[in-house]
Amino acid sequence: MRSCWMLFRGELRRLVSYKILPVSLATTCLWIVLVLLVHKADALTIAPLLIFIDTTVMLILLIGAFNHLEKQEETIKTMLVLPISIKDILISKVTASMVLGFISVAVMSLALGIIHGITFNYAAMLGFVFLIGAAHAGIGFFLALHSKDFGSMLGLLFSYMFLFTVPSVLFTFGVIGKEFEWPLMLLPSHSSSTLISTAVSGSYDAAKVIVACIYLALLAAVLLRFAVFPKFKDDAVRR
Amino acid sequence: MNAAFLVEDLYYTYPASKTQALKGITFDVREGEVFGLLGPSGAGKSTTQKIMFKLLEDYTGSIRYFGRDLKTLGTSYFEEIGVGFEVPVHFTKLTALENMRFFIQFYKKTADVQELMERVGLWEYRDMKVGEFSKGMKVRLNFVRAMLNDPRVLFLDEVTNGLDPKNAMIIKEMIAEFRDRGGTVFLTTHLMNDVEQLCGRIAFCVEGKIHEIATPRELKLRYGKREVKVEYREDGATAQAVFPLADIGTNEDFQSILRTKQIETIHSGETSLEEIFIIMTGVDLK
Repeated sequence: MRSCWMLFRGELRRLVSYKILPVSLATTCLWIVLVLLVHKADALTIAPLLIFIDTTVMLILLIGAFNHLEKQEETIKTMLVLPISIKDILISKVTASMVLGFISVAVMSLALGIIHGITFNYAAMLGFVFLIGAAHAGIGFFLALHSKDFGSMLGLLFSYMFLFTVPSVLFTFGVIGKEFEWPLMLLPSHSSSTLISTAVSGSYDAAKVIVACIYLALLAAVLLRFAVFPKFKDDAVRR
Repeated sequence: MNAAFLVEDLYYTYPASKTQALKGITFDVREGEVFGLLGPSGAGKSTTQKIMFKLLEDYTGSIRYFGRDLKTLGTSYFEEIGVGFEVPVHFTKLTALENMRFFIQFYKKTADVQELMERVGLWEYRDMKVGEFSKGMKVRLNFVRAMLNDPRVLFLDEVTNGLDPKNAMIIKEMIAEFRDRGGTVFLTTHLMNDVEQLCGRIAFCVEGKIHEIATPRELKLRYGKREVKVEYREDGATAQAVFPLADIGTNEDFQSILRTKQIETIHSGETSLEEIFIIMTGVDLK
């Protein structure tokens, strides 16, 4: 536990030093400018989409960037000969990257409250962002570990977005009909979008919320345990 | 002397490869010695090291560390070993001291960071980001990183590669002091100068096999040219002659030159370890 904490602090420090956290905050600031320019009703409509982007696509992108920077520096190798387990290293990395999501949601929530007086169920949002962050951290590490460099990581991310995120966005804008909502819940993006919309609007479909929570938790656990964990050490050693 | 490592019949094949990287390597590393593993690129040196510090695990054969099976050892093993990688492995956006402080906090037993950094000439640059360091500075910081936990065994890969002679000498002095305090060093290199100055015993590794294990002196006696070369003045110019070392004391021609000529230089003809390596394996070290 002590190792995890020390690793986590190290990760956070590097997220700042390597400008990952500032870039994440800069993106959130762009969203705040957007929120400033629209009316309260529109802000309420676009807020879930902006939070969704920050906690899913942006998270994957930032994890990919950070991971490839570390690959270039080969620092994972030297961490693997420390008296700590790989599990601790991975937990600290996943947790630290989830912090990016928490910070951007906190900043966005604050801005929505100050600018338009929009408040919502923060406790529910916190729990949902935890699940969304964990699942997308798993996806981010999976894509990063399966790409040679940041360029190929971006290629994989665009493919991922095309397959998993675009359908959910099309549903949000009514291009895809309501009858497809349940099948769409199989997409991590749509499950995440459902949870964020629920937290912001306050109206919810219990069945969908439960399914989305269980699905994202399972996805995070399966991805991190069976796809990321075994590949993590191999990837570092191969270099 | 205890065996720090006893490696027997070690085989390893990389997952994506069809050929074996190691083909039945056997050797021991004694406690308190500097053991050198020499060979050209791709010989299996780094693979052997990576297995010994548990980065690669799916090997066959046996490795015992002070009598214990390496496979049974957990993360506590890393409290006892220090690893100096060939390439720099630092967070480039952090300062040298921030890097060392990050790594040292995970160890129970620690060395004095300031003392180590002063010794390798990096203390005055402690607040500089590692990304701004020269290659030589990064190599020295790698060495400090390996020594942070005051290890019992030190793994060093091309430890002086990229260093100027002065700093290479400092690192070699520190390795010798570590050995004199009872530490064990496993060194992989292709730099014969390091080997001659540091290693008690060396193993020649080619294509995943070990060809010979001996002390540098034994190898030189066994494979060296047993001859004496004399340079002397004759008719206003430098002349030279080579004599067999055997029976040199009764060699009349040699004695005659010593008596009658002005000697400029006289050397026993020693074969370098690099030449011996080529003789034994038919492979160039580079």
